[in-house]
This record gives sequence, C-alpha cells and structure tokens, in this order.
Amino acid sequence: MIYALAVHGAPYSSNAAEHALGFADALLARGHQIERVFFFHEGVYQGLNGTVPPQTRYNVNLAQRWQSLRSGGTELAVCIASGIKRGVVDENEQERYDLPSHTLSNMFELVGLGQLISAIAAADRYVEFPA
Amino acid sequence: MKRYLFIVSRPPYGSSFAAEQLEAALVAAAFDGDVAILLRDDGVWGLQHHQSAEAIQQPTLTKTLSGLPTYEIERLFVCARSLESRGIEPDQTLGFEAIGYAEQQALISSSDVVIGGQR
Repeated sequence: MIYALAVHGAPYSSNAAEHALGFADALLARGHQIERVFFFHEGVYQGLNGTVPPQTRYNVNLAQRWQSLRSGGTELAVCIASGIKRGVVDENEQERYDLPSHTLSNMFELVGLGQLISAIAAADRYVEFPA
Repeated sequence: MKRYLFIVSRPPYGSSFAAEQLEAALVAAAFDGDVAILLRDDGVWGLQHHQSAEAIQQPTLTKTLSGLPTYEIERLFVCARSLESRGIEPDQTLGFEAIGYAEQQALISSSDVVIGGQR
C-alpha cells in the first residue's frame, strides 16, 4: 500500500519522529511505499540543518535516519507556512525575507499545505504522529 | 474525491495548533475535497461567545469558523459531551451541530481520512 505520514513534533523533545521513523521502517520492511512525510506544526524543526543529537545511551541521530528514508525515495516535505515563521527557511525564503542564513537541511524541501493534501489524496493510508 | 474529517481537539488560543489545523482544512476544501470538521475536547472553546483575540494580538478564531461555509465546508460538528463538561453554550450562529459519541463514531467511519485525530 501507499502511505503518507505526518510528523507534528520537534526533534528530541517530542517522540513523534522516533515513532514515525520506527513505523516507516516497519512499513518498508513489509514492502509498502511511503510517498511523502509531511512536517507540520512543530514538526518543521525536524528540517533544521544544524541539530546536534543529545548524548544518550541510545545515540539516536534523527537527521541520519531521515537521510536514510530520503535515500530510499521518500520525499521529506516541510510546511512552508509553519516553517518560515519558526525560522526554518531554504535559500529562496532567505533571499525573499533578507535573512542572515538558510536553515533547512538539503534533504528536506519547503512546500505548501497543498502538498499535504495531495499526498493524502494519492495515498491508501494517512498516519500522523502528533507532538 | 476523498471525504476528509478534520478534528480540532486543542483550544483556540495558547498554541497555533487549532488555527493551523483549520488552515489545512481550507486547503483540502480548495482541492475539491469533501471536508467535515469536528471540534472536541478543548477544541470546543472555539464556539464560546464574545471572543476578541485582539487583546492578545491574535486573530480571532471564530472569524475563521464563521467563514468555513464560504469555502464550501458545511458539515460542521461539535462534541456535545465536551461542551457540556465545560459548561459552554455554543454560539449558534457558527452553525456547528452538537453530536454524541455514536454519531461521532459514524462520522469517523464514514470518512476516508481523519486528520488531527489524536491529541
């Protein structure tokens, strides 16, 4: 089946990303497809290019795990409206708003809310991971 | 065309969640989706009378709610139990129909996609 996922929580504070990534691994292991992960609300912070994982006994590196999902062909889409007001900007938005730097990791892209709806419309299942 | 149900279970102020959730509902309606909205838990505070969020430099959520029918979002529901437990007499002009758990269950099962189903 084709899945669309949404993540609503920030990295290393909410566990939304860990749950979404665990679910994604399980889906792929069973032969399902994940077209797109949509980052909405505080989930947009997952797209920051400068997160440093905290040192814990489990050493979870969310950025690495998103990267491996991206390499498998899943789009990582950050809501532009939720993102830019929180400082999650790509080069275009940096230029548009005359900001000192861009902050979006290059494995993610900034997209409109329409991309959330079109991913849901094209998927067999939509699962969201709240903050 | 998919049938979408957006559930708003967070209060209208204190976080941007409810406003962002309604934003997504408007986009789904603009994409020609058949959209229903259910307010429940603290989301029902959106129907409280006499809101003026100008006092906290925020847009007043009731204005977004009252504009939903112009985006062809006309299936508007609110959890009767959530209203009752908070002692809220909803603003009837907003056009939300109060429904019980059985009807909410039917609403959820008749939808293709539920967005914001968890708190």
